[in-house]
Amino acid sequence: MKIISIIKQVPDAEARIRATASGIDLEGVTFVIDGMDEYGVEQSLRLRETGLDAELISIALGPKRFEEAIRTSLAMGSDRAIHIETDEALDPITQAKVLANIIKEEGAELVFVGGKEADWDSAALGPAVAEALGWPHSDWTTKLVVSGSSLSVTHDSDEGSETLTLPLPAVVTTQQGLNEPRYPTLPNIMKAKRKELKKLALSDVGSPSGKTQLLRQEIQTKSRLNKVLTGDAAEAAKELARLLHEEAKVI
Amino acid sequence: MATVADRLGLSKAQLGDFYDLEPLYAPEEKLIRDSVREFVKAEILPHIGEWWQEGYFPPELPKKFGELGVLGATLPEEYGGLGASYTAYGLINREIEYGDAGMRSFVSVQSSLVMYPLYTYGSEALRQKWLPRLATGEVIGCFGLTEPDAGSDPGSMQTRVKKVGNNYVINGVKRWITSGSRAQVAIIWAKSEDDGKVHGFALDTSTPGFKAVDIKTKASMRASVTSELYLDEVVVTETDKLNVVGLKGALSCLNQARFGIAWGVLGAGFYCLEEAAAYAEDRPIFGVPLASKQMIQMRLADMLADLTKGSLLAFQLAKLKEQGKDTPPRVSLAKRDNVRAALQAARAARDILGGNGITTEYGAIRHMLNLETVATYEGTDTVHTLILGRTITGHNAF
Ligand SMILES: Cc1cc2nc3c(=O)[nH]c(=O)nc-3n(C[C@H](O)[C@H](O)[C@H](O)COP(=O)(O)OP(=O)(O)OC[C@H]3O[C@@H](n4cnc5c(N)ncnc54)[C@H](O)[C@@H]3O)c2cc1C
Repeated sequence: MKIISIIKQVPDAEARIRATASGIDLEGVTFVIDGMDEYGVEQSLRLRETGLDAELISIALGPKRFEEAIRTSLAMGSDRAIHIETDEALDPITQAKVLANIIKEEGAELVFVGGKEADWDSAALGPAVAEALGWPHSDWTTKLVVSGSSLSVTHDSDEGSETLTLPLPAVVTTQQGLNEPRYPTLPNIMKAKRKELKKLALSDVGSPSGKTQLLRQEIQTKSRLNKVLTGDAAEAAKELARLLHEEAKVI
Repeated sequence: MATVADRLGLSKAQLGDFYDLEPLYAPEEKLIRDSVREFVKAEILPHIGEWWQEGYFPPELPKKFGELGVLGATLPEEYGGLGASYTAYGLINREIEYGDAGMRSFVSVQSSLVMYPLYTYGSEALRQKWLPRLATGEVIGCFGLTEPDAGSDPGSMQTRVKKVGNNYVINGVKRWITSGSRAQVAIIWAKSEDDGKVHGFALDTSTPGFKAVDIKTKASMRASVTSELYLDEVVVTETDKLNVVGLKGALSCLNQARFGIAWGVLGAGFYCLEEAAAYAEDRPIFGVPLASKQMIQMRLADMLADLTKGSLLAFQLAKLKEQGKDTPPRVSLAKRDNVRAALQAARAARDILGGNGITTEYGAIRHMLNLETVATYEGTDTVHTLILGRTITGHNAF
């Protein structure tokens, strides 16, 4: 069986990010593999260590610097990697289409995607990949067992957690609690130097056109109105409801 | 309008690499560094204050270091090494000493003072006998050069070896030997009664006549084992003899270890800078953060400047070493000045932390006291100054 882990690279959680007029200043920021994606790589390693006969492939879609995150996954234990290199900022739906092409081409049966990206906070990629492939998916997965051609997963839902069985092939998005990722040992880091890292251009995988376009970035500033309502409670409540409805337009 | 973002100080990563060396490291060098950092965070930092306080070196640690892969990292894979670059070895030292200089001492001794001479001067049989198990941490090694009356002047050593039949017999006392009582193999340097020259031997510490006694009264390197070795008619064979004649054998090992120290102390120094900067930000004084005071900023600026210069020195020394240009005076300069930079930083941090700075709840005083040893071993500050003086003038002032 082929298992694919989709990975991306994000600023280190300890990094101090500065915003400038033209966007986010990444100068001097250290980057790491997204922690959520690391859960996926780790889970694929554990599946193999507990007896599953599998080839583990890491795939990344993003700029050249993503290579470092890819090397981390190879050093952790993935067998080979594919890097679709692009500087374009693609939306999750478009990314999913590109990734689905490769996943199909590879004939993978299980795909791990990080539950939510650490930088843009989006949780869309996993479900979008499942949608593009027409496969079932389990999001926010905290436990996973492969038995034959099906998958038993426990995942978080709004009310708590539920355990489901899905047929393979399937997409699984990860979350904290799924496992505790290992850090690569030094011998594995050196071995990873000899592993295959295949480079592709966006045009090799269909060069889809994005659905969104980035026009401008700015830091959200939350300024307060400092409005204090006076009068008795009933009156103040009425006034508050009016303000929320007519001015803030939130109810 | 000043937003919070405008006041953001440097992150730890930015403090530690102010002159942007990051792009100059090879991908695997960065991965190695990051893994060692994770290891130190998980295995050393949570416990080190207590270990140090108790004078305890955890017996399971050598094997953990072995699993991680840091022991003898620069040696070829067939002997259990990684074939890693010296830059990687430097980064390993820096990350481990960020945890504690005693931990780094264990790794330095095992790698530079035991595995290096076994690999460089040992017969194939001797290499095979020890190297693979030293790499996994199953076997611990020590290096015995210093004696009660011979430190900076190792040539005056009193330990003697003489040939008896096909074997050699060693007599003498070694002092200040890191990992001494834990070691299964000891690299012992002794003067020959036959040719008057210094020879090195890799002896099995279970050989009759070998005894190790720990030195317990240290106020420095408390989480590292330091012992006195007694050698009373210890018999070693021809295969245990290292293939190098004269003090230069021992000195070549020191050149390796000193290189590691020039990198290692940066870890301790940056730990202290980070700790002092964070403490000063959180500590209110006269109604404002301590970090907003000029006197404190001046000291933080000095720490950053010294440690940044030290980082550049260490980096270029690694590049020189990778080309075989790490001459002893170049190594002396980096060892001397980087230890000074780290010791200054540790002392300043200790002071900035006020009363808290005298407890082992924080790292500053532990690093500061450890660094007193680091300034003394592997050539004292004075010894390296005299090496540089001799290099400049041609006069030997020892
Ligand atoms: C914790 C610890 C671990 C150690 N581990 C090891 C180990 O594993 N293996 C090992 O072999 N050794 C080890 N050492 C020993 C260490 O290398 C020696 O302590 C060091 O070389 C200094 O020697 P010494 O203590 O005899 O001091 P001395 O050589 O007596 O020096 C005393 C003072 O004299 C100064 N001095 C020396 N020469 C001159 C001169 N020509 N002119 C003016 N001043 C001079 C020195 O700078 C110093 O200030 C360790 C030491 C410590 C503290």
